[in-house]
Amino acid sequence: MNPEKTIIDADSSSFFSLKEILRYKNLLNNLARRDFLVRYKQAFAGILWALIKPLINILVFGYISVKISGTSNASVNFIYVASALLLWQLFASVLNDVSNSIIGNANLFSKVFFPKIIIPLSTIMVCLVDFFISLVILVVLFIISGQPLHWQIVLAPLFIVLAVINGLGIGLYMATINVKYRDVKFIVPVMVQFGMYVTPVILSSAYYLERLPKWAHWIFCLNPMMGAIDGFKYCLFGGDAIYNTTYFIISLSVSFLFLIIGIRYFYKFERDFVDYI
Amino acid sequence: MGSNTVIKAEGISKKYLLNQSSTKSDTLYGNFINAFKNLGSSSPTKEFWALNDVSFEIGRGDRIGIIGRNGAGKSTLLKILSRITPPTKGRIEITGRVASLLEVGTGFHGDLSGKENIYLNGSILGMSKREIDSKFEEIVEFAEVKDFLDTPVKRYSSGMYVRLAFAVAAHLEPEILIVDEVLAVGDAAFQKKCIGKMKDVSNSGRTILFVSHHMASIQSLCNKALVLKNGAIDFPLSDTDACLKHYLKDVINQSKSEIALRTDRKGEGNFRFRNIILKDKAGYVINAAQTGADLTLQIEFDLQIENITNLALAITIYSDEGREMFTLANHITKEPFGNVSRKNVIQCHVKQFPLNNGSYLCNIIAYKDSVIQDYVLEAFHLEVEQGDFYGTGKAITTNQACFLVNNEWELK
Repeated sequence: MNPEKTIIDADSSSFFSLKEILRYKNLLNNLARRDFLVRYKQAFAGILWALIKPLINILVFGYISVKISGTSNASVNFIYVASALLLWQLFASVLNDVSNSIIGNANLFSKVFFPKIIIPLSTIMVCLVDFFISLVILVVLFIISGQPLHWQIVLAPLFIVLAVINGLGIGLYMATINVKYRDVKFIVPVMVQFGMYVTPVILSSAYYLERLPKWAHWIFCLNPMMGAIDGFKYCLFGGDAIYNTTYFIISLSVSFLFLIIGIRYFYKFERDFVDYI
Repeated sequence: MGSNTVIKAEGISKKYLLNQSSTKSDTLYGNFINAFKNLGSSSPTKEFWALNDVSFEIGRGDRIGIIGRNGAGKSTLLKILSRITPPTKGRIEITGRVASLLEVGTGFHGDLSGKENIYLNGSILGMSKREIDSKFEEIVEFAEVKDFLDTPVKRYSSGMYVRLAFAVAAHLEPEILIVDEVLAVGDAAFQKKCIGKMKDVSNSGRTILFVSHHMASIQSLCNKALVLKNGAIDFPLSDTDACLKHYLKDVINQSKSEIALRTDRKGEGNFRFRNIILKDKAGYVINAAQTGADLTLQIEFDLQIENITNLALAITIYSDEGREMFTLANHITKEPFGNVSRKNVIQCHVKQFPLNNGSYLCNIIAYKDSVIQDYVLEAFHLEVEQGDFYGTGKAITTNQACFLVNNEWELK
């Protein structure tokens, strides 16, 4: 048996390593399990809450959307909004939970060593479980409205992953800042709330872009969630959900740029979290 | 690095910045915040070296005790060795899998059942699912919680909670185990069980690093020790007995100067207090008394004359708000000492020390035939640490009560 060797010194910094994460997968699973079990313990309606919140949002924003866009086909519009809202809510909950995950679990890593990236990753699992439960709503809406399915639906998981990547990338950056500046817990909800109105959630990209001046188009497509939501809609409904391919690709690139920045920033300060928390 | 060395530490230092919030400004955001803060006040940051140039080598199978007063850097050292916080300077090479136990029940969640917590805590401590599965029965048996596995741990008694938490940790099988003062919890019988378990671990060739205030545990568990003082090594890694001797001498010396040097004292001066030493049941010098533990106060003194007769002594203990707690006096509980010479040793034994944890002040006074010989106000601080008064693992905390009193309940 070859005993493992560890070197600890002042400037050996940590890097993202999939191997290391896999070594701690038992911890990852158990933390996710904890979050999930704790969330619905002693709640009378239990897991139903994962349906109720998105359902209310869909009803309210679906109605608003129909009113604003003045569309003739209300039921189709409704299901558009529902799909976008569910994906947005996945992004929002990942962003919010990841941002707060590090300070929320300070009691763990101030007593035991493990790669700290495990904590935000474990919170993602719970968000995904909630998301898949809420997908039931979408399935029901599809059945009721009799929407046809397209072949692109097999690509839909890619855009679910993309929404998670967006939440994780920005979330890791926020989680790192949060260690020192607790302002983050106020900033993130504001970002999420404001973000929803500048992302094609309630209304389509076409609606925004046709009304925005040309120079503002660039700002609109720097939003990483624009690509994710339009891509998701394209997978579910086909047609012209992706308004402009260049814009779509820009938005995708921003997603990955944010992920890389988030991971690098997180790892840069990871070792010092304990001293600042 | 010798073939038998498992930990080699070279010049480890750890710097903390008091008032850290305004130091790092390598982010835009940080710069912005700093600029904002510095408008209000210019707060210079102070450096504090919690550890300074600490080096040592630990061999395979050694059981090392780390001794030192509060603030000597013991916990910082353990945190660096277990990779929780990085050193500011220095380098450590570790061979083998490390598990650290700096707290009992890290990550326990009150809403989860005993079983769920075993898996959660085990995985936090670095056990694989397979390892936990194979030890599950043993853990449950060790903790004596078989009937409560599906109960949320928030409904556990504190004794059960601690037992379960320690049981998980005790079944870790790393090559190197780092343990902070976690044994200071639970009742005496359970503590003994834990020490026994740790001995088993070390007998199977594993290396243990152990921090404790409890000299008796260090002596019974460790074969070597090192003494830290103000962040540096005060006495190098060597036999436990030599280390303990050095450390205790230091503890006594430090407190000695305080009473002997006091000039604001009253009395004739034929008898003068030199020092008060606290000892535990086993006769070891201790820094602090412990609630519920037997305490001995040894009074060291100087005599201006050969013998002094009819000597009455009293120690009055006050809370730090100045409220009188109680007085220990030889002439009340019995008679004054008939005849005291320089060769005598004066000790006052208190069974099951009744004060709750906190900091107390003591006045000391000596009379001969009602004439004050020596009277020192606030002669020393008596620190009392939390202990297990009732032997149940349950404690009454300070803001609820000063005293603990033995009581028995009966249902007829």
